Amino acid sequence: MRKTRIVARSVWKTAEGRFSVVVLGIWIAVSLLSLVWTPCSLWSTDGYDTWASPSTRHWLGTDGTGADVFSWLMAGSRTDLVIAVLATMFSAALGFLLIGMTASRSNVFSNMSVVLIDALISIPTILIALVLAVPLGASVAVVVIACGIGHGLNLARVCRPQALLAARSGHAKSALSAGAGGRYVLLHHVLPNILPTLIVQLSLSAGTAVLAESGLTYLGVGVPSGVPSWGHSLATSVKFVDVFPITVIWPGLLVTVVVVALNMFGDCLRNAVDPVSNAMLRKNGAVGASEEGKSR
Amino acid sequence: MRFVLQRLALFVVTLLGVSVLVFAALRVLPGDMAQLMAGMNSTPGRVASIRKSMGLDRPVFEQYTGWLWGLMHGDFGMSMLTGRAIAATVKTRASVTFPLIALGLLAAMVIGLVFGYEATMSHRPAVRVMFHLLALVGGAIPALWGGLLLILLFSKGMGIIGLFPSQGFPASGWRQPVQALSSLALPALTVGIIDGATLMRYTRSALTELLSSDVIAMTMASGYTRRQAMVRVGFRLALPQLVSVTGLLFASMVTGVMVIENLFALPGIGYGLVTDLGNRDLIAVQSELFMLAAFFLFVGFIVDVIHRLLDPRMRHPEQEG
Amino acid sequence: MLRGSHGPISFGVRFEKFRACHIIVVAVDPSGGEHLAYQLIMAKSAALEAVALPGDGEPWTGLARRNMASTQGAHDFDGATTNRGVSNRKRGNESLTEGHVPASMDPALQARARHELPTYDVWKSNHKSKLWVLAIMTMVVAMVVLAFVRPPARGGDGRPAGFQTQSAQRVSIGLKLAPANLDIRNQSGSSLDQVLIGNVYEGIVARDSNNKVVPALAKSWVVSNDALRYTFTMNTGMTFSNGDRLNAEDAAWSVNELVKRGYHDAQLLKHFESAKALDNSTLQIVLTAPYSDLLWVLTGRPGLVFDRHARYDMKTQAIGSGPYTVERFVPNSSLTLVANSRYRGPYRAKTASIVLHYYNDDNAAINALKSGDIQVLAPITQSLSGPFDRDSTNYDVKVGEGTDKFVLAMNCKGSKTSDVRIREAIRMAIDHKAIVASRGGVDRLMGGPIAPLDPGYEDLGARVSHTDVRRAAKLLKEAGYDRQNPLALRLEYANIYGTELGDQLRSQLREIGINLQVHVVEFSTWMQDVYTNKNYDLSLVDHNESHDFSQWADRGYYYNYDNPEVRNLYDQAMSATTEARKSELLQRAARVVSSDSPADWLFNYRITTVMRSGVSGFPINMNQALMPLWNVTFTHE
Repeated sequence: MRKTRIVARSVWKTAEGRFSVVVLGIWIAVSLLSLVWTPCSLWSTDGYDTWASPSTRHWLGTDGTGADVFSWLMAGSRTDLVIAVLATMFSAALGFLLIGMTASRSNVFSNMSVVLIDALISIPTILIALVLAVPLGASVAVVVIACGIGHGLNLARVCRPQALLAARSGHAKSALSAGAGGRYVLLHHVLPNILPTLIVQLSLSAGTAVLAESGLTYLGVGVPSGVPSWGHSLATSVKFVDVFPITVIWPGLLVTVVVVALNMFGDCLRNAVDPVSNAMLRKNGAVGASEEGKSR
Repeated sequence: MRFVLQRLALFVVTLLGVSVLVFAALRVLPGDMAQLMAGMNSTPGRVASIRKSMGLDRPVFEQYTGWLWGLMHGDFGMSMLTGRAIAATVKTRASVTFPLIALGLLAAMVIGLVFGYEATMSHRPAVRVMFHLLALVGGAIPALWGGLLLILLFSKGMGIIGLFPSQGFPASGWRQPVQALSSLALPALTVGIIDGATLMRYTRSALTELLSSDVIAMTMASGYTRRQAMVRVGFRLALPQLVSVTGLLFASMVTGVMVIENLFALPGIGYGLVTDLGNRDLIAVQSELFMLAAFFLFVGFIVDVIHRLLDPRMRHPEQEG
Repeated sequence: MLRGSHGPISFGVRFEKFRACHIIVVAVDPSGGEHLAYQLIMAKSAALEAVALPGDGEPWTGLARRNMASTQGAHDFDGATTNRGVSNRKRGNESLTEGHVPASMDPALQARARHELPTYDVWKSNHKSKLWVLAIMTMVVAMVVLAFVRPPARGGDGRPAGFQTQSAQRVSIGLKLAPANLDIRNQSGSSLDQVLIGNVYEGIVARDSNNKVVPALAKSWVVSNDALRYTFTMNTGMTFSNGDRLNAEDAAWSVNELVKRGYHDAQLLKHFESAKALDNSTLQIVLTAPYSDLLWVLTGRPGLVFDRHARYDMKTQAIGSGPYTVERFVPNSSLTLVANSRYRGPYRAKTASIVLHYYNDDNAAINALKSGDIQVLAPITQSLSGPFDRDSTNYDVKVGEGTDKFVLAMNCKGSKTSDVRIREAIRMAIDHKAIVASRGGVDRLMGGPIAPLDPGYEDLGARVSHTDVRRAAKLLKEAGYDRQNPLALRLEYANIYGTELGDQLRSQLREIGINLQVHVVEFSTWMQDVYTNKNYDLSLVDHNESHDFSQWADRGYYYNYDNPEVRNLYDQAMSATTEARKSELLQRAARVVSSDSPADWLFNYRITTVMRSGVSGFPINMNQALMPLWNVTFTHE
């Protein structure tokens, strides 16, 4: 618990950390707010007021149907949040499953996971999405599953070495010889050991999911029409960039800021949980005695 | 050698799996090719005859084996819609995509390596911070948006500074090299900025690690300046990853530029795939998807093998026992 | 892991083999060899970690992984095991027996790593490697680029095929929907009619810009009194572009072949009995019953005359008798027409070569127009035409009539939409004027199924010009729904029409208590769900056909609309012997259809065309279905 507090404090201490936490906080807050309130109703269109410039009524102007761009962006943030969270959870689940297989004592499982990862890692997310979109059509599921598979495989590959180390460590061996089961080892030795990597990877894949959403939606295989999302706002304004270039600025800017924040958050988190770069962790003895002393 | 063989076997097996997957995915899709080709206001008899002429009335398994048999003989089939050989179509498209990737990669490497180097080696902290931010932001820009911004800045007709044609590709292709190249300028730059930012972060952290190691100190102690040491020793140490990173980056760009191709209306592989998918050109889509998957698997295979060759620890283990 | 079995000595051996760094060590600190070698190997195994680039273009995850490679695991927090290089750096030689290298990519790799180093390594090339690598990289890039660059090809007249250098010899036209192939007998889609009919292929008769039948290959015709026998007198001295002669035999063969093989649009030739050539210049078509649309139908695909002797791949080539021939066709991209040197008819091409460019993307099309790649753009989205409208010295913006009807079909046998009150309410609640305004304000209100330029048209726009939400809500309430208890309906339409219409309809219908779920799908999905299976509530289609009233008289059509009175009126109209009578009957039928509300006609889409000043002769009306280009010229100022 104390460690968590120190980590949180050291994230907040840096400018980058503060920025990312604030942005992510706003993101979540706006998403929740949009469930109950948006400046204009999403479904109010006005054929006589299309592509309006920003005004007090429409803060960021209106789109081709006369709907309020700001409201759509607000509502879009919740879709992107859901996509980011689901994709991250999916990839975490898949990644952890594969890691579990890798670290398992059964050679069959271990080899199978190696083969699976090696075989599929080189297939790009977008290709997975296109294949999925053929039967599924444009849907949030396509984005979530494609990102989940892509990142899950990556996660497994990234964490594999550490997981193996932990699983073959003396700790794990002694636990096993003391009669602990494989699951116990996985949860109490492997998982804590790869947790920092896992967290950082997941924060990064959240950012990638947001980016992927905008790209896939533009290609017509992402979020279906009528569901507000940043990619949707971007894709609809792209068509009219010639005449109404200002409208296209906002959704892209939003995606960029959020993804920067997610990546920064990952970086800061990594620095914060790493006792080498985070003096506070060492000073406060959260790591126990000094490392030097222990390893000798 | 054993490793290569094992890896090769894995490659083949995966390829087979992918072919089944792709084929299956395309059979469960809604929408009937024949009906689409016949159009609205067509009679059922006409739809049936088109279906027959396209071989869609055969059993699914037979269709699959027929397709696979063709693939094994290098015959990717004919598009049901355009009546052209798919391999030839893909070749034409590749003549847009690969130069685009090459240019994009060039831009990415210039941006990534030079800026990444400066971001680490500059003596002024302000410069370092600026480049660091640049890398962070560059990697977070949606490709679509980045391309649009470049169009708004640099395209003829609507940009603030009209330099390059904004969208489209000359119809006669590379027979007009100047126009073709200039129409690839903005898309390549978009790719360059986005992937360059990634490469930059990578370069930066690799160099930082090197700087903190004793290697550079050693080199400097033997009379080189810091920069010389970085370039001569540091670069060499980073070479194997660089090769791998570049190889994989190159591969990932084939589909990574899909959005860019669509935005800039470049008739490349990704653009074509999206079009064919919309037209429900079943045979074309399944062959193209398969080709792409095969390409990626192949690059993955090659990169794995090369990496082992480049890494001295990994070679000739048998000889030394 | 590089640990355990290897003592300091083995590291020494290893170090010797790292020849790249050999110099440094010897020069600086021979006694510190183990340390240095150790550091080097560390750097290299760290390097190995960095390779983990994900295969999907999100390389920063790989980056992060690389960074994470030196991150402490939980066991380190416990201080139990040490696998960190950083802390080892400070230790003495004995620490070499400990783990010191971050874990490598996979167990196999680690296993290999345990072996001794080889006697050869890639670091041989010493100082020159930097240049070497740079040179290779540059060469690879250059080669890939060069591989696709060919010297500029010269056209037949020795002039480089210009892409931006335009002369009056060449006019480029931007279009939107591209034909998938050139097989006009089999492939559906008006984009084929648009480019091929009147340009490459010619029909027995043709249409003028007001959709009226005019002579083409036949210079005149006589209809028998019972309207069953059409006798055409063909022009003489006509040839196909391959040199073959064209006479009445070819015309008769083409029509018979169409019917026999059931080519596209064959079903339009109703009551057809036979077509035969009475002599070289006389063609006779015999019907079993009067069919007043016959002549008009012959202006389309059913009337096209093909060369019965020519054998060619119709998907990629076209041999016709029109003023142009197809020189080059790049699917989804462009179609190049060149003047047919063998053409002797009245519509001789005025411009030697016309290139049709297809732009999926509106912006690409507009940019092409602005940059001079094309001189004509048809159609342009009306709301994007503003800048051109204002720049009248350089551009002409014209709005033409068309037969495009945006039909919001309401399944007459749908579980909810079979209730006429609901259909009425929907029509009343839709703000047609606002929809038209949002599209730029040039489209026409319709109110009925027949478009201007088609027989039987009358302006029923007044029927929908007034939106009455209150009455609509009342009607819906009678049907059992209101805002508290909304009616859920599904609108499915193809993605080619954009998402805006669906968004607007949903917003407008919400006012009266309809919860519209909009599904924008691939055209093929729509075809399956709506057109074939008739499984829908609402559907939206741009019916761009002309003379298509038969849809409302066809019980099997996807509208599921059936009114015997309409069928009767339509049949009468089709057997009418005068145009006036036919128009009158169709007009009556259209009124009945409109009052039954099987659909709502959102608007009649009018095509906006932008041309550079100096372009003349480009058709403005109906140019998405019929685009004769022989008269097109472009003169520079």
